[in-house]
Amino acid sequence: MQTSPDTRRRHNPRRREAGTALLFLLPQLFGLVAFIGLPLGVSLYYSFTHWDLVAPAPTWIGWDNWAHLTDDERIPKVLWNTVKFILTGTTSFLLFSLLAALVAYRPRRGVAAYRALLFLPYVLSQIAVGIVWRWMFNTESGPINGAFEVFGLTGPEWLLDPRTAMASIALVTTWQGLGYGMTLYIAALHGVPDALPEAAKIDGANAWQRFRHVLLPMISPTVLFLMVTSLIGALQLFDPVVAMTASGGGIAAAGGPEDSTRTVVLYMYNQMFNYNERLSGLGYAAAIAWVLALLTFLLTLGQWAFSKRWVFYAGETTSTKGGRG
Amino acid sequence: MTVTEPIAHVVPTPDRAPTGGGKPVARKRAKAGVYHTAMTVLVILYILPVLWAVSMSLRTDAHMFDADQLIPHPITFDHYANLLAILPDFGRYVGNTVLIAVVGTAGTLLSSSLAGYALARFTFPGQRALLMVILLTLMVPAQVTLIPQYVIFRNLGWIDTPLPIIVPMLFGSALPTFFFRQFFLTLPQELEDAAAVDGAGRWRTFFAVMAPLAGPAYLAMGLLTFVQLWNSFFVNSIYLQDQSQWVLTQALQSLVGRYNSQYGEIMAGVTLVSLPIVVGYIFVQRWVVRGIAFSGVAN
Repeated sequence: MQTSPDTRRRHNPRRREAGTALLFLLPQLFGLVAFIGLPLGVSLYYSFTHWDLVAPAPTWIGWDNWAHLTDDERIPKVLWNTVKFILTGTTSFLLFSLLAALVAYRPRRGVAAYRALLFLPYVLSQIAVGIVWRWMFNTESGPINGAFEVFGLTGPEWLLDPRTAMASIALVTTWQGLGYGMTLYIAALHGVPDALPEAAKIDGANAWQRFRHVLLPMISPTVLFLMVTSLIGALQLFDPVVAMTASGGGIAAAGGPEDSTRTVVLYMYNQMFNYNERLSGLGYAAAIAWVLALLTFLLTLGQWAFSKRWVFYAGETTSTKGGRG
Repeated sequence: MTVTEPIAHVVPTPDRAPTGGGKPVARKRAKAGVYHTAMTVLVILYILPVLWAVSMSLRTDAHMFDADQLIPHPITFDHYANLLAILPDFGRYVGNTVLIAVVGTAGTLLSSSLAGYALARFTFPGQRALLMVILLTLMVPAQVTLIPQYVIFRNLGWIDTPLPIIVPMLFGSALPTFFFRQFFLTLPQELEDAAAVDGAGRWRTFFAVMAPLAGPAYLAMGLLTFVQLWNSFFVNSIYLQDQSQWVLTQALQSLVGRYNSQYGEIMAGVTLVSLPIVVGYIFVQRWVVRGIAFSGVAN
């Protein structure tokens, strides 16, 4: 990435180079400041205020929003719902997309078509996918419980039962994301030199041992990438919940049954446009958003720190040059 | 170093001529047959919900819940006609969605590729730190910055216009910028030196030499950004509350509330909203998949 100074242009002082770079970077830098940096600070400020948007300006109320976070009994509930989704949806996404990659990564005739079809749901909107699956899960006329009936069984109540509703949503997001995860795993598996598993095979390693001790360590950077990004995504779960649980009253009516699918972001949305009480509205929503940001930050850092124990980077030569992975 | 083994676990590339005696080849063929049969069944089952939705949109109400009619028997387009009657502004929603997706994608590509190029090809103080900051922004949930942005855009009178969604997209975002950086790093330095010898400045080098070479990167990132904007719901539902300003996902979601039991119309909506993306995907899936793989593993 760094070029030695002598290959640089003849009469090009460093300062001029930096000046041009700044111009190239200007839009991005502006966006960084205007749409991320500043709003981050301002939303921290809002979290110490009450504002119903009818009043001309926010009122400073100190730590009240933050204190309310601890006695609002829906906060542990929505946090737990988000954790439920991570334990079911994120875990199954990581696992099943790896399985799909293992059965579809070898170059064979026709395999490209399988990959393309498995990837297809990923490009559809979560709203469209959620609506279709809402019908699939329908306990009376839906095809899934229809299949149960064929065998004389009664299927679960899926989205209607508070015990299974979040797991049903996790199933749908896993289904939709599988092709994406698979694609990344396949790219990583193609980066493993054939000689490695073959050598292990000569040494008498069986298929599981070759996977566990050769392939998995070699693709561990991709596993980490998917873990980190899917966790960040899971913390922001919103669209699928709305598509599968809202009815009648629009987004405000989503999150059921019995609040079992109300996520942190959905609750933030609910509070954002709820001005009835002093401890709601934009200020309280900002505090909730900050909890989300802190959670994201802590969990990402945690994964990062823990990854040192299990992520294996093959040689410095390939990791920093930014080549093709 | 290849291991010669009759039942090769290491599958040969398709066009390699089979080696060895007749029996292993036959077994290999049988194995491939089992594999393809299993995969075909699994993949069809996998995309069955998508096929089912399209099928339902074309069925008559009498056959709506027939389990054995994946290909609808009397085909009807009534549900599509009804849908357009229920949502008379459908054309408008298409227009709103296209506007946001096209302008947003174009802006993101331009800003992100400029920034990615600078991060890859210039040397300036603070380069690594800036890259780190850009990557760190991936950790900032959009929800945190949303509330102040909402207030700002409200004060500007931009609520119920596409501006709050389009304008931030014009300034690039972290993932595309990182992606373009990785891509420009793979292009040979000699090209740039040659352009410099010919007297081209940095801007001309970028627009005349480097950007055209990055065609595949633009295509892949462009598609991903476009799909993301086309499908987005959360942000739109905050800024576009007036019905005439809705995008397609919002119109679709509104059906579930009001026309809960009209499955034909709902599935017609799902099909119409997904169709452009699916058709586009069929033509360019090669690049989408490659782009995704590239952005994920190039670390």
